[in-house]
Amino acid sequence: MIERLGLRLRVLLIFAGLLAGALAALVGGLWLGWSRQAGAGVVPALELGGIAAGLVIAGLVVGVWYLFDLNVARPIDSLASALRARAHADVASEMDGEIARYLGDLAPAASAAAQRLAETRNALAEAVARETTRLADEKARLETLLSDAPVGVVLCTGAHRLAFYNSQAVDLLGTGAAPGLERNLFDYLHAGPIRLAHRRLIEGGEPDAASDLLCTTVVGARVLAARMRLLAEGGAEPGYVLTLRDVTSDLAALTSREALLSEMLDRMRRPAANLQTLLQVVPEGEALPPDLGAAVRQEVAGLAAAVRDLGARHEAGRSEGWPVAFVRAADLVDGLRARIEAAGLPVTAEAAELLLRCNGFELIALVSRLAGQVAAAGLAAGFAVSLDEEEGGAMLRLSWKGAPLPVGRLDRWLAEPVDPGGLEVTGQAILASHATEAWPERHGDRACICLPIRQARRAGRRPKPIARAVVYDFDLLSKVRNEKVADSRLEDLTYVVFDSETTGLMPQQDEMVQLAAVRIVNGRRVEGEIFDTLVNPGRPIPPASTEVHGISDAMVADAPGVAEVVRRFHAFAEGAVLIAHNAPFDMEFLRRAEFAIGKRFDNPILDTVLLSAVVYGQTEVHSLDALTHRLGITIPEEARHTAIGDTVATADAFLKLVQILKARGIVTFGEVLTEVRRHGRLMKDLNG
Amino acid sequence: MAGEGRKRRVLVVEDEDNIAIALDFLMTREGYEHDRVANGSEALARIRAMHPDLVLLDVMLPEVSGYEICQDVRLDPTLNDVKVLMMTARGSAIERRKGMALGADGFITKPFELKELREEVRRLLGPGEAEGRPAGAG
Repeated sequence: MIERLGLRLRVLLIFAGLLAGALAALVGGLWLGWSRQAGAGVVPALELGGIAAGLVIAGLVVGVWYLFDLNVARPIDSLASALRARAHADVASEMDGEIARYLGDLAPAASAAAQRLAETRNALAEAVARETTRLADEKARLETLLSDAPVGVVLCTGAHRLAFYNSQAVDLLGTGAAPGLERNLFDYLHAGPIRLAHRRLIEGGEPDAASDLLCTTVVGARVLAARMRLLAEGGAEPGYVLTLRDVTSDLAALTSREALLSEMLDRMRRPAANLQTLLQVVPEGEALPPDLGAAVRQEVAGLAAAVRDLGARHEAGRSEGWPVAFVRAADLVDGLRARIEAAGLPVTAEAAELLLRCNGFELIALVSRLAGQVAAAGLAAGFAVSLDEEEGGAMLRLSWKGAPLPVGRLDRWLAEPVDPGGLEVTGQAILASHATEAWPERHGDRACICLPIRQARRAGRRPKPIARAVVYDFDLLSKVRNEKVADSRLEDLTYVVFDSETTGLMPQQDEMVQLAAVRIVNGRRVEGEIFDTLVNPGRPIPPASTEVHGISDAMVADAPGVAEVVRRFHAFAEGAVLIAHNAPFDMEFLRRAEFAIGKRFDNPILDTVLLSAVVYGQTEVHSLDALTHRLGITIPEEARHTAIGDTVATADAFLKLVQILKARGIVTFGEVLTEVRRHGRLMKDLNG
Repeated sequence: MAGEGRKRRVLVVEDEDNIAIALDFLMTREGYEHDRVANGSEALARIRAMHPDLVLLDVMLPEVSGYEICQDVRLDPTLNDVKVLMMTARGSAIERRKGMALGADGFITKPFELKELREEVRRLLGPGEAEGRPAGAG
């Protein structure tokens, strides 16, 4: 019943009861004192009465305190803890209403607040999740777009270091050093034109300006046409985006045409001049003396031979360097069928498995228009389109049952714009740009228009799609580099974490059979930058070793040799800090190959065994399994004892160790080395 | 109709006068009866009227192209036995293919050696009166 009374009334009643009890105790005490000590005088009676009343009042106060502690103070504490748990620890369960049942509306109010907090938090989390998904989708779409862009795209910092590249850029930048974030662009491209364009754009001060340039790859001397545009960030030395296109073949074709033109002029100028002189010496109307006649014949023969020879060479190279992609014959024919059907004309279509070098859009526009004109002329009511391999190229035929088309009429149609208001170019111009002709002829019992396509090749099976990816870290654009490694913060350095599988455990006599590495840039393992290869050790792999890593002689039979792999790894690791778990073992194998490749591994080196000793003390076990277990890293069973599996685990362990070291105030590479040397006196540090 | 024992008739359809002079000279020397038309639009009528054994037909003609004339000749059943030798200054494989598709019997690229032209003409006309050309010719 009391719970039905309000909290304030209950508090009032408690204190009223306390007051009443106190008064009753006073009255009772006085009465007791008076009745027991009446003969002893007033003072002893008052003393006895006061003591009795005081004890009763004290008992009442203790009782009220106990009630308050039990029903107010403790419930408030419980309620506060429950609220804190909901505020800070994301506890979502409903609050227990019993814990504060004597606190009136406080418990339901707190419960409602907690409930509301949970709901708001859930709504917020849902909104964040929705937005995160949307952004992730957008990011994935942009990545796809950039990875499929037909040009190479790279983003560089103002110091010309890569912060983004797509796979086309990887193809264009060529072999040599493996591409990687934070690498210098000039490892791949000659610096001159790029520095000039960068400087030109900075000095121009026009944020939207672009600079076109030609640059050359360091390896392979491919000529790339590039367009540079500055990025907004980067202050006085802003970064830039560079789009790249290989124009080596275009330039070769252009050079060849220029050379042909020059040769043509040279070979014609001389006989033309000689002929003029020879004929001018004989007065008009007079017969040529025999020796002059012979000279004229000789010059004319030279001239004619030159024209024939150069004409044939011009003809042979007409479509070289033509910037047109290959089109599938089936796609061209499908497009034609769709256009002809859209005009309400029945059509069948078939194509050989060919790839054609042509402007598919123009040819579809031209041939579908011709079909419309043939139909409008009453020559055909339905068509067949075919594309067959013929004489090194392909023959496109638009055929119909009916009367053949006069070539004169075809020529007049070809002189008209293909799509008035749209594609204004004439059919004749389209044919000329494809270095071809079109004509009517009979093909079996059908009339047709033939249009040869000069360049075609058999399509074969569609190649397996190449995994296209973009690799980036835009934080690199605003990163300030510290050139001194020892003073650099750990997360600012670039690392190459590697591991090898070998024929045995004796670096002096065994060899590598597998080498894998990953890069860590800006405190992040870069997913797309992986070095992973089998190695032909040039000797049999003992069965006991195959048992451990699963690599057999057959598997490495076609793999590159040790020197080749180490050379490529050297390029992959250039400029990075090397990290391995038990680095002395793996480094020994690499250093043995230094002489063969003519390069030294002078990179700074970190050993995760030593880092583990710094963090956990030397008494702990520092095996990779023990370390990853302590750090909560799981190595999938199928990846264990594979070079790449152990490499990824080592890299992830290193990244977690860096966080622990930071928490202990060990921030720079130099500080880590000092700690490593202090803790690792019994272990070998490879940094000299 | 071409027959054994009479002079072969050749019609030269060529708009370039200098080449026409050379061809005229050659045809005369070879002992062919010949004529020349300089304009494509007049060529077909002249072919029908003359009914030559061979038409030496330039591709690039004013008004009507050599291809069109060639096709018209081939589409006229009364001209079935008329041979057509096309001449062009460009002479790509595709142009040759086009010419042959439209019914040409031969295709020759300028500038040509007269010997080459003479052999092609002889191949198309076969043995006949022209073989008995004046001594010393050729």
